[in-house]
Amino acid sequence: MIRKVLAANRGEIAIRIFTTLREMGIHTVAVYTDPDAHALHVRSADESIRIESYLQPDEIVSAARQAGADAIHPGYGFLSENTSLSTACEAAGITFIGPRTDTIRRMGDKLESKRLMEKAGVPVVPSWDRNPHDSEFPVLVKAVGGGGGKGMRLVEEPSQLAEAKAAASREAGKAFGDDRVFVEKYVRNPRHIEFQILGDAHGNAVHVFERECSIQRRHQKVIEETPSPALTPGLRARMGDAAVAAAKAVGYVNAGTVEFIVGPDGRFYFLEMNTRLQVEHPVTEMTTGLDLVREQIRIAEGNPLSFTQSDLRQTGHSIECRIYAEVPEEQFRPDIGTVAVYRPPSGAGVRLDSGIEENSEVGFHYDPMLAKLVVWAGSRSQAIHKMQRALSEFVLLGVRNNIDFLHRVISHPEFGEGKIDTHFLERHSALLRPATEEVPVEALLAASLSSARTPAVTGSATAAFTDVWTSGPWRIS
Amino acid sequence: MTGRELHWNKGASETQVRIEESGGHGIFHIGEQAIPFVVRGQGWLEVNGRNIRYYVHRDRNEYSIWIDGRTYRLTRIQKGAHALEQAGGASGEVRALMPGKVLRVEVAVGDTVKERQPVVIMESMKMESSLPAPKAGAVIAIECAPGQIVEMGTLLVTIE
Repeated sequence: MIRKVLAANRGEIAIRIFTTLREMGIHTVAVYTDPDAHALHVRSADESIRIESYLQPDEIVSAARQAGADAIHPGYGFLSENTSLSTACEAAGITFIGPRTDTIRRMGDKLESKRLMEKAGVPVVPSWDRNPHDSEFPVLVKAVGGGGGKGMRLVEEPSQLAEAKAAASREAGKAFGDDRVFVEKYVRNPRHIEFQILGDAHGNAVHVFERECSIQRRHQKVIEETPSPALTPGLRARMGDAAVAAAKAVGYVNAGTVEFIVGPDGRFYFLEMNTRLQVEHPVTEMTTGLDLVREQIRIAEGNPLSFTQSDLRQTGHSIECRIYAEVPEEQFRPDIGTVAVYRPPSGAGVRLDSGIEENSEVGFHYDPMLAKLVVWAGSRSQAIHKMQRALSEFVLLGVRNNIDFLHRVISHPEFGEGKIDTHFLERHSALLRPATEEVPVEALLAASLSSARTPAVTGSATAAFTDVWTSGPWRIS
Repeated sequence: MTGRELHWNKGASETQVRIEESGGHGIFHIGEQAIPFVVRGQGWLEVNGRNIRYYVHRDRNEYSIWIDGRTYRLTRIQKGAHALEQAGGASGEVRALMPGKVLRVEVAVGDTVKERQPVVIMESMKMESSLPAPKAGAVIAIECAPGQIVEMGTLLVTIE
């Protein structure tokens, strides 16, 4: 039995993990670094312990010991796919809520994982340790230990390869502490479709259907959904079988994800296996009724899966939009600041996994993802309408963000028709900006009323002022 | 009636407006239009019989206005003061586009650079980005060093 869990993470995912733990009657422990001292995730746990870095496994294990936690949930990113944390947990007798160290190591090595999958009969994309033949271009340079688009470069010409490898290697070294990179065949206009898998310590493995993650910017996912509009029942069954074969090939224990790319011809290739909970896991939860964190904990406790493949059903449609502190109009540069106004949407079929609240500080130390807005409805078109409604109700001022951009993307006719692939945003780059720069008269009026209320500020950059409740100088209260 | 004139910069164009208001009822003058409005409460206006819910956030002269599901940005122009608000622009100044850490400075004082040649490599949110020279010329000043944490808009390198 697990009684107390430390989440070795921050932001929305730490909070999302705590939510399930509370439902299960399990005590919660947060860790935080100095920039996060006042972060929402710290206040959302029963206890919190200061650490120097989310990337120091020894420190995290000491914190767990200090708090008397019997398990550590790594979340995603940081040390979730680094064997140093799972190894340190083993040495300390603390349960690591994730797959076995050996699985993380083999699947984290993108070359070994592909060799293994090839042997298990799962189709894979060709790749090279050294330089491919000129005829193989375009290619992708990827980090051996990476994910999330960091340390990744598209190379169109052989002459650009050396420089791309050097830059990717530097980025990978900083992000993952491993600067090795490799080169992979680049499939044009692919869809990115992944399958959720669950495996227990008793040799059972199932897939929990797909997630379509084709809408990406800078190789990072922005919008995810399930079911994928591209999959027929036949293709879904074949890919699901491949995902389960992949899980069984490594004796997978806990929750994981098998990523595939799917070409316009419907052929699919194993891309990589993510040995952790994914950012986009909520869409799977919304359509299957499972709580994946609960399943992770039950598996970590040694329980067998409480269902078989044939018990699982997809119902309705779910879409997730990632809310980032960034400016789509300016190459998606991250923004920082204080969340001055925060009025998130709600209502039936709307779920928000958020790491912020009003007055939260958004700094540049960590990933700019603030929250995930998830909707569920009976059909894809209803889910799109629900997401449009939810995004248009989402008020977030003080930090520039991608909410309006997300609304434009999901409102695009080709998104509505399900004609999406990983180049959707490059093809529709007009979506990066509003269709019109026109500011409605009412907005000018609102701004004019609020500016009338306060004297001109000419001071420092910190002199921010929020006027949520505007009234004029004529109103004496 | 109190009257107040304001100047707004929206994108490239400047707009002059005037507000007249008394007891919560007023008229908003913009261009040739005179639009009656009612202040119904906090963050609540009525214009032409329609309810408007809004939120405004102000940071110096930058305003973000959430209205009807979208966020708009406006800059207030304070007459006489607005020259100070202008950014580096078409000069030879290379400024930080976002807050972050300077990784490398690719040039030295006295170097000749081409337009678009990378001069500074920065890291922000764990992503690398390179800042190019805005014009060809000679590097006359370097204001940053590798490892330094800089704010958005910080002057890093000057080219003449």
